Amino acid sequence: MRSPVTRSVVAALAVVVAGALATAEEFLPAHDLTEFVPTRIEYDSVGGAGEAFYGYDGRVWERWETDFPQAEQNFAKRLNQLTNVVASRQPARRKLTAPNLGDSPLIYMSDVGYMALSGPEMRALRQYLYNGGFLWVDDFWGDAEWASFERAMAGVLPGRRWRVLPIEHAIFHTVFDIDEMPQIPARDFAHRADTAEPPWVHRFPAGSLDVASIRAYADDDGRLMAIATHNTDIADGWERESYGEWYFERFSTQSYRVGINVIVYALTH
Amino acid sequence: MFEWFFKYPRVVYQQGELVFAGDLRLAWWLAAALLLALSVVFARRLAAWPWHRRVAIHALQFAALAVLLTILAGPALQVLRLAPGVNTVAVLVDTSRSMALPDARGRTTRLERAKGLVAEGVGGQPKTVLYQFDDQLRPAEMATLEPTGDRSRLVHALSHLAANYDHGALAAIVLLTDGAQTPGDVDGLDVLTAAGVPVHAVGLGAPTIVGDAELAEVSVPRRPPPGTEVTARVTIRHAWSDAGEVRLRVRDGESVLAANVVALAPQTPVVVADVSFPSGAAGLKEVTFELLTPEGDPLPSNDSRTRLLEVVEAEHRVLYLEGEPRWEYKFIRRAVEEDPAIKLVTWLRTTPRKTYRQGVSDADELVDGFPASLEALYAYGLVILGSLPASTFDDEQHALLESFVAERGGSVLVLAGREAMAEGGWDVKPLSRALPVVLERAPVGAPPGYTAGEYTAHPTPAGLSSPLADIGGSSELDREERWATLPMLGDYQRLGPLKAGATTLLEGQGSVRVVPGAEPTVIVRGGAAVPLLVAQPYGFGQAVVLATASTWRWRMRTAPGDDRHGLFWRHLIRHLAGAAPATRRLSVEPGFDALDLKVSLKDARFKPIADASVTARITAPTGENFNTVLPPAAGGGAFGATVATSIAGVYRVDVTARAGGEGGAGTTFSRLARVGGEDVEAFSAAMNTPLLSRIAAATGGRLWTADDVAGLEQAIAFGGSGIRERERMPLWDAPILYIVLVLLKCIEWSLRRFWGGI
Repeated sequence: MRSPVTRSVVAALAVVVAGALATAEEFLPAHDLTEFVPTRIEYDSVGGAGEAFYGYDGRVWERWETDFPQAEQNFAKRLNQLTNVVASRQPARRKLTAPNLGDSPLIYMSDVGYMALSGPEMRALRQYLYNGGFLWVDDFWGDAEWASFERAMAGVLPGRRWRVLPIEHAIFHTVFDIDEMPQIPARDFAHRADTAEPPWVHRFPAGSLDVASIRAYADDDGRLMAIATHNTDIADGWERESYGEWYFERFSTQSYRVGINVIVYALTH
Repeated sequence: MFEWFFKYPRVVYQQGELVFAGDLRLAWWLAAALLLALSVVFARRLAAWPWHRRVAIHALQFAALAVLLTILAGPALQVLRLAPGVNTVAVLVDTSRSMALPDARGRTTRLERAKGLVAEGVGGQPKTVLYQFDDQLRPAEMATLEPTGDRSRLVHALSHLAANYDHGALAAIVLLTDGAQTPGDVDGLDVLTAAGVPVHAVGLGAPTIVGDAELAEVSVPRRPPPGTEVTARVTIRHAWSDAGEVRLRVRDGESVLAANVVALAPQTPVVVADVSFPSGAAGLKEVTFELLTPEGDPLPSNDSRTRLLEVVEAEHRVLYLEGEPRWEYKFIRRAVEEDPAIKLVTWLRTTPRKTYRQGVSDADELVDGFPASLEALYAYGLVILGSLPASTFDDEQHALLESFVAERGGSVLVLAGREAMAEGGWDVKPLSRALPVVLERAPVGAPPGYTAGEYTAHPTPAGLSSPLADIGGSSELDREERWATLPMLGDYQRLGPLKAGATTLLEGQGSVRVVPGAEPTVIVRGGAAVPLLVAQPYGFGQAVVLATASTWRWRMRTAPGDDRHGLFWRHLIRHLAGAAPATRRLSVEPGFDALDLKVSLKDARFKPIADASVTARITAPTGENFNTVLPPAAGGGAFGATVATSIAGVYRVDVTARAGGEGGAGTTFSRLARVGGEDVEAFSAAMNTPLLSRIAAATGGRLWTADDVAGLEQAIAFGGSGIRERERMPLWDAPILYIVLVLLKCIEWSLRRFWGGI
């Protein structure tokens, strides 16, 4: 048992260190600003096991960190190989309330079916989007998870309606001409016959899981602020690219086509 | 005082030559004899003294002797002075309306003071002629002098009188004026100087009108696009003794478009402020800028100015070539999208083999990545080059880019990037000649020229007043504050030495901040500024280098309503693209009673069209119109004429140009111009001392004040330019000589008494 004096000193040191870290966080850039840096958003989720977090591959995962950081690392590698985008192989992770969130004009959120945003997070995301930031939400399936995300976005962008982007939209044609929105299942659910994930691994009532789409929120000038790749897990196609030739050719190539198109769209609009 | 000691005024000494009228030989012999006698006597009497006392006494004696000999030699000044009775002095009185303002004492008007001087016989010459001037020069009578002229063409009147006076020998001109001449009337000073007639200016009025605040100048774009913010720069000149505020208002008729409050302080008599207002719908607008000054403004008629705005759809065509999808590209596009006057066409290399075009007019535009022809390239006013290797283009295309600036008069803006400038191989391409900095490759093993790191951007004094570095702000202080509070930039491209014609508009300043985890790279050393935005003219165009590609941080790290990033890019692009000349240009410069029309015609390759017929149709404010042919003027493809106007108001000029052999209606382009309508006499109404001094100095005259013209008569008599005669003016009886003589002897006597040798 430590003495009260020792505890006080330790507590004071902790405050000083925390303050110093907060200062650095506030003023230093998040990363090399000459590069495109994939940025994953940390958020809180509601519920218990199987909801806010889940066990997989021998460890517990929070929802926000699904596929992180392997998906981003693989994606950055492919961006550098296939495009003229100069991407960082070191992805960043940020909270929505981070003062330097603006240093990442594109942010990525995964597995948002149980996401819960606080008031400050909603305000920060709203300012970020109105400043020209671009939000990409991925890997959430079914009606209940969409409804949960839609409720959160109603607090972020009150009064704005989402719409499904038609296949003629520029986002499907910036680099690759995509004629159908691909449905990418997680590796464990990828079967030759069916690409939809089973309803029991998603929030109840799952409803329809069959049709993948890009749903988007636009600003007053029609420019996209946020997109959601719904009923599909684009990032799993990146993360699992080395898990088998069939999966790579069947899904990863599709994932990269969508990913590259989205990134180039965000960098040009 | 000078004249009491020296017998004649200073001007006689300045002009005269010293001569001696006495017999110097006899005098010198007498002096020698006397000196010898004295030396013998004093040498004996003073032999017991120390040597320095003897030297002092002898020196005083020799000095006294020298004065005496000078008197005996009959000194005189040989001068040239006006021959009596044959020369004329012209007295020229300003009768413009500003002469109705109070004179320096405030007891009477400037014109009444001038009339008083005329009545007292200013100039003091027997033959005097009286003239008056405002817009024109004419003979005058004292009784008819009234301050009614709408403008004062001071230099014009002087040069006309000096060069054309043919009623006898003109010895000098005495000018009675406040010097508040109409702007633009500066030609003719050379003619005046060449005429050789000295002008003696008698300044009337005070150098400042205490308590007055004047809207000295309003600078505003003449042809803004509709639906945009127009920024006018106003210059306020004031003579307030206490600090205060004045309200600046912009009106279109009775509708108030904008209002600002401007702080005035005694230590800054000239204040420059910006005011923005909406351009509104297309059409002709007469916008009034006015200062709402407090009660007691001594000259309220100089508180407002009007400007003619032709709000027209304009299109600045901009080509942006980029080799790397990056955030700067996105946010430049976004900033420009809000400006309907800018047509931005972008070509982006997304992959080594794919490109992405935005803003193109049709499927063929830029399909090969570069305009298909010289004409297609020259259709743009500005080319932006991003992180794009020079190897993207062939030699012919590189030569076209250089001639785009040099010959077409286009602008080029080069952005920072991994493949930009020297890092991209542009240092060995023709365009490098146009750039304001020397492109230098980083030595092998040295850090790359383009690196990450943080620093702040600051405008230089040139940048603060340049539209190329304009992020808004109503005053210089406000503009500095807006720059100082911008987020830091995050990258920098090292620039080589600046070229001779380069102007740095923005600098990077601040301590080094290194990206966490990255290799430490010194971008900006503490306290030392590095060039960030540099511009220079080249040929008919201009080239600008921006050593960063992270201005997008100004958008992403500020509040959503903060438009500084957008303003920076819109102003920069609009002014660079707008500076590129069009193929067919018409300029209409209104004078007070004339329109100066100038037309320039070039083809799509920007070669002058010399064999054109050009006709102007002038429509007066009354609706009446007439045609006039504009003959060829100096310079290829130039045509012009000056057209007289009879009434004030807005004139419309429609010019029709037909190239040689071109039938049909030809090409018609139009402009509007306002003639007159502003009380120019109310502006710059304080006594213009610098101008009057310049005129006097240039002609050999002098600037006098109304309260002190005592020496004017002598100055004219001995400095006039008429018929003159040589005269010797004796100096032997000048009091100064005798005073010095007595003084020398008194000193000698005193020393002797003191040293005990008398």
